[in-house]
Parts: sequence; C-alpha cells; structure tokens
Amino acid sequence: MSALGDRIREVAAHYPERRSAIIPALQLAQEDHGGWLPPEAFREVAEALEVTPAYCFSIASFYDMFRLEPAARTTVEVCTNISCAAVGAQQVLEAFERELGTRPGETSDDGAFHLGTIECLGGCGWATVIAIDDRQRVGVRPEDVPAIVEELRGDGA
Amino acid sequence: MATAPEIPEIVFAGTEGGAVTDLDAYVQAGGFRALAKARAMAPDEVIEEVSTSDLRGRGGAAFPTGRKWSFVPKPEQLPKPHYVVVNADESEPGSFKDREIMERVPFRFIEGCLIAAYANQATHVFIYIRGEYDRPFEVLRDALEQVRARADLLGGVTIVLHRGAGAYICGEETALLESLEGERGQPRTKPPFPAVAGLYASPTVVNNVESIVTVTPILELGGAEYAQVGVENSTGTRVFSLSGNVVNGGNFELVSGTTLRELIDVHGGGIAGGRRLKAICPGGLSSPILTADQVDTPLDITSLAEAGSAIGSAGVIVLDDRCCMVEYALRASRFYEHESCGKCTPCRVGTRWLSQILQSIEDGHGTQADLDLLLDVCDRVNGKCLCVLGDSDALVVASCLDKFRDDFQAHIDLGRCPFEESPLAGVLAPAVQHERRFHRELDVIPA
Amino acid sequence: MSELVTLTVDERQVQVPKGTGLVETAAAAGVEIPVFCYEPRLGPPVGACRMCLVEIEGMPKLQAGCTLTAQDGMVIRTAATSKKAADGQNATLEFILVNHPLDCPVCDKGGECPLQDLTFRFGPGTTRMSYSKLTFDKPIPISPTIALDRERCILCYRCTRFSAQVAEDEQLVAINRGAHSIIATFEDEPYRAPFSGNVVELCPVGALTSTQYRFEARPWEIQNVPTVCGLCPAGCNVSATTREGRVKRILSRNHPEIDRGWLCDKGRFTYPHLYAADRVREPLVRRPRRGLEPVAWEEALDEVERLLREAGGHVVTALSGTETIEQAYALGRLLREGLGAHSAVLPESTSSALDAFRAPLATIGSAELVVVVGDDAVADRAPIVDLWLRQARRSGADVVVVGPAGAVQVAPGEAAAALQALLDDGSELGARLRSSERAVLIWSGPGGGGGARLAEAAHGLGFEGRPGCAAFHLPASPNARAVAEAWSCAADEDESDPEPIRLLIVSGDEAAGSASVRVLAEQAAATVVIGMFQGLAGGWADVVLPATSYLEREGTTMNLEGRLQRLRRAVLAPVPDELAWLSALAARFGVEVPAQAPAVFEELSPRIFGGITEAEVDERQPLAGRAPYAPPPPAAETKVAAPAAPTDEHLLGELRLVRYRPLFSGPQVERVPELQFQRPEPVVELAAADAERRGIVSGDLVSVRSNGTAVDLLARVDRRLIAGVARVAEEHAGDLHVGVEVVKR
Repeated sequence: MSALGDRIREVAAHYPERRSAIIPALQLAQEDHGGWLPPEAFREVAEALEVTPAYCFSIASFYDMFRLEPAARTTVEVCTNISCAAVGAQQVLEAFERELGTRPGETSDDGAFHLGTIECLGGCGWATVIAIDDRQRVGVRPEDVPAIVEELRGDGA
Repeated sequence: MATAPEIPEIVFAGTEGGAVTDLDAYVQAGGFRALAKARAMAPDEVIEEVSTSDLRGRGGAAFPTGRKWSFVPKPEQLPKPHYVVVNADESEPGSFKDREIMERVPFRFIEGCLIAAYANQATHVFIYIRGEYDRPFEVLRDALEQVRARADLLGGVTIVLHRGAGAYICGEETALLESLEGERGQPRTKPPFPAVAGLYASPTVVNNVESIVTVTPILELGGAEYAQVGVENSTGTRVFSLSGNVVNGGNFELVSGTTLRELIDVHGGGIAGGRRLKAICPGGLSSPILTADQVDTPLDITSLAEAGSAIGSAGVIVLDDRCCMVEYALRASRFYEHESCGKCTPCRVGTRWLSQILQSIEDGHGTQADLDLLLDVCDRVNGKCLCVLGDSDALVVASCLDKFRDDFQAHIDLGRCPFEESPLAGVLAPAVQHERRFHRELDVIPA
Repeated sequence: MSELVTLTVDERQVQVPKGTGLVETAAAAGVEIPVFCYEPRLGPPVGACRMCLVEIEGMPKLQAGCTLTAQDGMVIRTAATSKKAADGQNATLEFILVNHPLDCPVCDKGGECPLQDLTFRFGPGTTRMSYSKLTFDKPIPISPTIALDRERCILCYRCTRFSAQVAEDEQLVAINRGAHSIIATFEDEPYRAPFSGNVVELCPVGALTSTQYRFEARPWEIQNVPTVCGLCPAGCNVSATTREGRVKRILSRNHPEIDRGWLCDKGRFTYPHLYAADRVREPLVRRPRRGLEPVAWEEALDEVERLLREAGGHVVTALSGTETIEQAYALGRLLREGLGAHSAVLPESTSSALDAFRAPLATIGSAELVVVVGDDAVADRAPIVDLWLRQARRSGADVVVVGPAGAVQVAPGEAAAALQALLDDGSELGARLRSSERAVLIWSGPGGGGGARLAEAAHGLGFEGRPGCAAFHLPASPNARAVAEAWSCAADEDESDPEPIRLLIVSGDEAAGSASVRVLAEQAAATVVIGMFQGLAGGWADVVLPATSYLEREGTTMNLEGRLQRLRRAVLAPVPDELAWLSALAARFGVEVPAQAPAVFEELSPRIFGGITEAEVDERQPLAGRAPYAPPPPAAETKVAAPAAPTDEHLLGELRLVRYRPLFSGPQVERVPELQFQRPEPVVELAAADAERRGIVSGDLVSVRSNGTAVDLLARVDRRLIAGVARVAEEHAGDLHVGVEVVKR
C-alpha cells in the first residue's frame, strides 16, 4: 500500500465517516502529484477510501482548488472581484502580463508560469489580493509586480 | 464586570500588542475563564445566557444564536451524537472578518467552540475553514495543537479542522454539511433542519466564526451585560469589513448601529483620491446596493432592512463616482454564475443568462427590451431557488437596475459603456472553474 | 394505518395518511403536480428541478411540492389556481429550455418524453434566450449500451442518484459545478455495472438513450408486450417493445414485490440473442461424412421418432430449467407416458419445504437482519436480490454474508455446516435471527439440498410463526423447480434404469452447454438437442431441433419466491413453437398433448397448482400464501475438505479452485456484442495472505496450474476473500482441476 494511501487513511480516521475525508485526501494527492490531479491520483484516493474514482472526480471537479490539468511550475492568480477591481486589480493583472509575457488564462511557453484571474480570495480590504500557488499576498500594487516576478523567477532557477 | 468597556472591543479585546497565538499568554490574560464558567452551569443555562445576549448570527442570516441552540433536541430525546459545526468558509465578496478573527484571537475562538459544544452536548466540533485561507488555517492548526495538549480544556471534545477546497456555496449551512460529509457541496432541502438532522443525520448546530468567538465574551460578561452594548435587535459589536474605494480598508470592530458615514469617513479615512461616493454595498456582495444619499444609514439589522438592503456579513464595499454599475452588476452576476452549485434549475440557468444579458448591455449591444428582460429574469429566479444564492444574484442585479437605471440607460442610448475611467472594467474571472474538456471518440455509436 | 390528515389542494379537500408526499397528496385530490427530478424510488427528494413549485398558505415563498409532506390543515395551490405558482412553473420550464436543443424530431425520446409533454402543456411558445446555448459533443457513449447527449440533459440528477443510492455502483456522477455541470463516468471508462441500463428509463429527457434502440422506432409504431424476464430465477417483470415483429428493447414493468421497477442489464440488453447469426432456424440431422444438414420438419420428426423407438425406453432427458412449465410437462408426457423413459437430469432446484417461509422479495428491503449463506455472490445468481440487500442496508438493516468472501468467512463447500451452526445454542447470530420479527435468510450457492438445509434452519429458528421473516433459495436456473414438478407430474410410473443410454435428449442451450451433459452425450448412442444456437450442439448432436426464446413463448414459470408468472409471446419465433411439434410427435406415440400453452396448463394445473387457470395468472401475479412446514429429505451431501494451510512458508500449499458463473454469461449474453464489455476480465481472485506469500500483487500476470493444465490470468487481491482459494469465472477456468497452484509469471 502506498505511502499516500497510508496518509489518507490516517486523515480519514479523524472523521466519524470515511467519506468525509475526501477533500483532505484529494489535497494530499494533489500535493503528492505536483499540484494537480492526474487520473492515477483519483485511483489512489479511491482505493484508500474504498470509493470509486468517478466519485473522487465528481468531488474534485466541484471545487476550484483542485486542478484537473497539469499545473505550471508557478501559478499566479489575481483576484478580479469587485473590491480588488475597484482599487486597480486590472492594472496589477496587466503588470503581470507584461512581466511574465503571458496573457490571463494562459501558460507561458516554457510551462513556467500560468497567469489567471480568480474570484474573491477574502482579503478585500487589503486589495489587490493575489495567490501564488495558492499562497496569498495582499496589498499588491502594479509597481510591486516586477519584484514579485523577479523573486519567482529566482525561486525556479 | 460592572460596566461595559469604554472601548467596545469585545471580539478583538487584548490584541493591542498583536495576535494572541500563544496558549499560555491567552490563559494568563484570563483566557478559558468563560469556558470554566460555562462548565459550572447547566448546558441549558448556557443557552439561556446566549439567548439573553440576543446575539444574532454573524454569517448573514442574523438568526438568534440562542434560539438556534434551543432547537437542538437533547441527547436523551434524540440519542445520537450531537455536533457543532463552525462555518469558517467565509467567501462572501467584501467579507474578510472571520479570517482576521481566526488569525488574531484563535484561542478566544476555540474557547467559544468548546462553550458551544458544552451547551449543545456535542462530542465533536468541526471547523470548516475556507480552502484559500492559508495563513488562518496555519494559525488555527497551531493553536489547536496547543489546546490538544490540554485534556482539561478539551473536556472530551474532539475538534476537527477541516479545510475546504474553493466553493462559495459551502458557506450555505446545508451545503457545508454535504461537503463535510464528503459530497458535492450542494444545499439540502429544508426541512429537516440541521438542528434535528444535520451532519450524518444527527443534531447539529452550525454557527459562523464571529458568532462563536462572541460567545466567549458573552459568557464572561453575562448575556444581559453584553446586550447593553449596541442597539435593539443588534446587540454588541460587529467586526465590519471595509473595502473598495476608501483610504483605509480593513476590519473595524464597532458598536452595532454605527452609521455607514462614520465607518467610511472616520475609520476608513473617506473616499480615496478625493472622489465622490457613488454606491455602497453594506453587507457583503449579496446585499442589495445602496446609493450615496443612504450613507447615514446605521449599520444594524433593522435600519438596513428598512433601507432596502441587509446587514448580511457586514462587509461594506464602497464605490466612487468612476464606477459603472452595469459592470458592478456584471461582476456580481458572473461571480454567482461561477459559484452556483448547479443543483436547482433557476439558479444554474438564471445566473448564466443574467450574466449574458449584462455582458451584452455592457458591450453596447443591449436594447431597451433587454432592460425589461433583465428584470423579468431576476423576477423569475428570485424566490424559486433551493437556497439564497440565485436569489442573491437576482436581488443584486435588480437593485442595481432600480437604483442606477441611468447607468443602464446610457449604455443602451450610447451603444457603449460611458464610464471610461471605471475601474470595474477589464478582465473577469472565468465562469467555468475547470476548463478541462471531456471529449471522446464519437464514432463508437452506430449511426 | 397511520393517522389521516385533511388538506386542501386547489380548493378540493383530500384525506391522506400524515407524511404522504405532496405530489401523491395532490394526485389523490385529482390534481397533477408536474415533476422531473422527483422519483421516490431514488431516495429522499432533492428539490432540484423546481418544476413542482406550489403555493402553500402561510409560507411566503413558493415551495417545491416534492420535498414536503402532508400536514393537517395545509392549503396548497398549484399552478391551476395560483398565479404565483403558475409563474413559478413557467419560470422553471423557461429555464429548463434555455439550454435544451429542442431537437425532438431526431430524438429517440420524442413522443414519450416528459419534457416534451410538459413543454407542450405549460411551456412558452417562443424563447427569449438570444445568447449562445451551452454546447457539448453529442452524443457520446458512456458504455457500449448507453449514449449520453449532454445538451439535452436538464440535470435532474436522477441517473446519478440511481448510481449512488440505488445500485450503489457510483460510476455515473455529476462533474463540475453550476451551469457547466455535466454527467460523466470516470475518464473514458464505460459505465460498467449490472444495473446501468436503468438510467435510460429514469432519464426524463433524451439525454441518456439506449444504443440498441437508437433510431429504431417511434412510440406510435410500437407495441409493448407485458411479460417476464427468463434469464434468472427472480423473474423480473418486463415489457418487450416490438415493432414490425421484432423486439426492439426491453423495459422494466414495475412489480413492487419483485423488482420495484429495476431491471439488470442482462434482462434489459440481451434480447438481440433472438437475432444471433448461429440461431437454428431449421431442424438439423447429422449425415455420415457430411455433418449436420437442414431437413424439412416432417423428416426431422421421422428421424426423432425412429431414434425414440430404437431407444426402447433407454432414454435420458437433460432439462435446462429454462423451459416453461407447459413445455416440461409436454416433454414429460411424450417421453414418460409414451415411452416409459423416466430418467431425467434436472438442474439444481428449489426445495418445496421453503414454501413454509415464502414471502415477496420486497420483504428483504424492510428486514432488520439478513443473513446470506453460500458460495456465490448474490448478484451473480439473482441480481435484483442484490438491490434489495442494498436497500435493506441503507434502511439500517444488518446484512451478514456468510461465505468465502463474506464478513463471516466460510470456506467453499462449508456453507451448509455454517447454516446448521446458526441453530447452535451459542450462536450469537442465530440468537438474533431467533428473536427478530424481520429477519431473512438467503441461500446463494450450489448444494444445500436446493434450499432444504435453509428450510430446516428457518424452521429451527422458528420463522413459521413470523410473517416478517422469510427464507429464499437462489437457484441457478430460472424455472428449475416448476420444470421438475411438471416433469414429475406428467406420469406416475417408477424410475426405470436407462443404462445403457441409447438416446440423450437435451432440452435447451443451457443443458447443451453443461459439461456433465456433454459427458452423458459421449455415453449415449444418439443425442437430440433442442436448442436455439448451432454453436452449442453443432459438433456432437445427431439431431438439432430449433428452440424458441422466452420472449417468443406463451406459458408459465415459477420464480424463486414460488410465484407463478405468465410469459407472453412478444414476437413470433422464426421457428415453430415447441408445443406444436411436441404435440405432433406425442401423437405418433399415442399420447394426446394439446399444442397450446393454456390448454396444457389447464391439464397440468389440477395436478400441481390446485386447478387454477392460466387466465388467473395475471400480469402482476400475487404470491401464494405460506404452506405448512414439511421436513425435507435429510442431507446426503458429502463435505469437501478444505486444503490444509501450509505450515512451512517455503512449501506453498495448494489452493482450491472455486469456479463461479458470472451474471454476464450464458448462451444468450455471449451472442450480444454490446454486452461483451460486461463480462468478467480474465482474473483470478486471491486472498491477501495467499497473494502475499506468493509475492503477487493486484494486476500481476499469473499462471494458474493444476495437474497437466495451466491458464494465464491477471491476479486480483480480494481482501474479503478467505485464504486457501483461487476464485475464477467459469469461462476463464478452462480445464483446471479443483486443486491449483498460482505462480507469478
């Protein structure tokens, strides 16, 4: 039995019913598979929780944070909901477009960066909020973007 | 304590020096005394104390917390496990109070969880925290780690921190329960109500983070003392989330009944860039929009209802005079379209249709008849849905058209958006959450 | 009877039991509340489609009628009398049609489509939706038998609820969220589950359709013939849809006590066997050096008459248990009365001692304790019983399986002893069975005296006096018990010694496919096979007489409950009816047998069914009452000893080969190409300990060996399986002996 399966069963033990652990199980699987859920991840989770892969896929596809396509090395998402938009999320987005050379919704040719827009991340008073590989940063201004991108490029090199 | 504190910081009390993330520091400052006090009382007396405080649910529906607890059948009436579920899936655009509560006063929050568990004779507390809340999750996880080392504090209660994965609808209590049971987060029909058949079909109370954290000071102060603060129907303080075109965005714990003007001008430093106020969303995105001349409305349940809106989750979004209200309605509608769970027809179909009509108007392709169609579709969605998500879209869009009809009319008349400087223009978030195509060979079926 | 409450629906007063759903309450008042997603058989209502919106006095918002139950004094207004409710209903229909393609002219559902009907009655005449509809690739196969058109789907979630909450296969699911939600299977894998086809019937639009029925017929061109499935002993009630003399599809025909309107894929999708390429359409007679050749019927009957006369009573008849009662009786009259040929090989039958514990299958669904004993999986023997077990479990029943892969592990062949052990004083399970008012015992496997041991156990546990307690035997063939009884009542002479066998008569393709019958054929001087398919008997029969299918027959059968049911001829067979030529042949031996099923039944009924007429066996036959308990003949079985567990780790012990007959097997299934994906993969199932000892994990290619023969199979580790066995489907087991060794390749 795989190490992932053991971790999933360990998490499942915290719940009165095993199916309750499906989200944490998928989170562990996504972490294990480099930030996305390939078909074999669903099979592994299904085996550990004694459910079907179809059920696991049904759950994963309901939620935004599970990725069903291979992830770029770094994913940058800019909140464009009303509070962030009102204070200039569009300019932050454009700054990332310039710095990354990638349009919103697209992945750079080298597969290093994906730039996306995203609904409210829950930091409206500290706009603009962005998420880099699901880690939030708040109060991002367009002029902060070059340094952020430089930092991200440095990380990957 | 004889008098209400002068500075009415109740939720955030004791955080002048920063977040309280060390258990010993919290205990030294008087932490967990409320829990001890509660445990010296009968569970029903704790519920009575909460009822006396007239605490209203802080998640949006403003239901009296004490009354909610009183609906839960006693274990001797219904011999099943009882559960407390804390709704920490704060996802309402404009609201970000729960995250700061969990980050700054995690132990006061956990203490509230344990008091709620005691009052409702629950064996388990599940904290369903929003998946995107990375830092609050870590703070809470660490805090729980410290508390778990203290069996005396837990009193036999198991606390499970459950991290969501990105779905606004899971903030709806029955959708949250479905999600926690491992299903797609789609709301259930009511009845049965969670108090009787909630998590695993067992008696369950579902409360918002701010409601739960407030239970701690209510037990400390006493319900009657707490009720001294605030106004009728809206006792105590609330943590208001302020965002949009203000100088200082952020969370402000103020006495209920403070006016919008005071929040925006005094605490928020006024409208940024010296511009003029155009519109206010007073209680999170789902509350109908208010106009600038309603800025003197007090932030309490009754006053906002009278003003045609709602206190909701107390997330105040401020918009200045550059903003296009068609774009506001479009962004709102796209959000609901994205977040619709897809279970009931009017919401699943209506939110997308409304977005399409609004996009067409925004693009300058709208006709006069589209304004009527827009209102009619709102009317056909509103009140027909399984939960309030679809209704919210309809109410928000209809309120924009009602309050800012000139903005809409100008798009029709000019054949374009007249608000060239509107910051609400630009790229939207995708409506589809997963772009993956499900394409298969088509020639398998004989023609 | 529960408390009655009085309500008003559209100004009409109605009394219903408290808790009745509002849809049913309105129906009782003669008012229709239209629905799409509501289907009580799928579990609690979900209130998703919002078609059933009604106004209820005292409630500010419209309510989904399907989610509420009748309370005293409720005042309900439907669209007929409430403008608000009518607006709500119109809104719902408009929304449902916003993305629907309205391609009724090319849709198989057209003419029998609830969406079409409700749109015609209540829907808007025009659309206000001028933007792009959601589009999807269409149609896509979700299995070789089911096509999915996502554009037509209205997301009522009936199919996914069936998959999750009735069949519990959880393979057909909803994916994504909101407007972009779609129905799907995992990746590109087919919906492979025994009951998948029910989703086609549940779909209220043309989203899920049968690939077999695709573009085959329109509702005004078809006839639906009410009959009974003849492929397993449950006898689920079905409708055969026919057009121009051909069967086009099989639908379930809800018998609430037997099948609740569910039908397995074998029952639903196997009908194309009628049109199999190797179907025998003319009599065949073996010619020296030329093999089997078609001959005229008169010539064939002459040949059979000659063989019968030459045999002089040294005849053995092998029956399949798929014959109608009338056929078995007519065959018995001909052979036993006409020739004194009393010897028969009968399929595994059900003991009449179980009549003392008779109950509808639905009893299982409401039981609190069900104990299933035997070597075989219930789903392989009588799939509908498996659905009843699942329902019981969902309703809180404890379902205990005692068998090689059960919660109580018992080695193959040891089940009868395990059953007997329930009667021991110390048996905790036995004590619970004794004290329960709603307990059910099921025997699922070979042996056990055809349920005789089960009857003894039920008697010992005191089931007779408890109407909520029942015992069921799941025999291997659909009609074995009544075939045996009909054969036995055809004459009353004593058993004669057939040796040496001069003639073997093989009735039916199942008998023709049986290995033991093949052994007899080798001993017999001549063999006559009555069969549908040439492939089975073509190599060794001397005469083949064409047979009909259960879909082509009139007659009666008796299911495992002991319920008489009536088969109706859905289509004319391409060959003469068995009774017609049996009657003609019998006449040659001076035996008068009617050529029509009702007349045959009239003759045999006083002998075994107390004289009821075939007309009394109606379309939804009720179950006869319980008989007094009559002790069955005692057990004469010998137990097969389980192989001893190896003591030395290096010395691998022999495993016992357990062959099982999977649900998707048999001569009919083998002839339906689109059902082949349902047949079991070439797999050997092993217990975890046995696999581990041999260094085998799931997915490994292994060689299963016995003396002088070997089969390559894929290993699958089944954690529930008892140690010491290797479980292989009959069709993959080849010539393996009972003791095998499994080695990794």
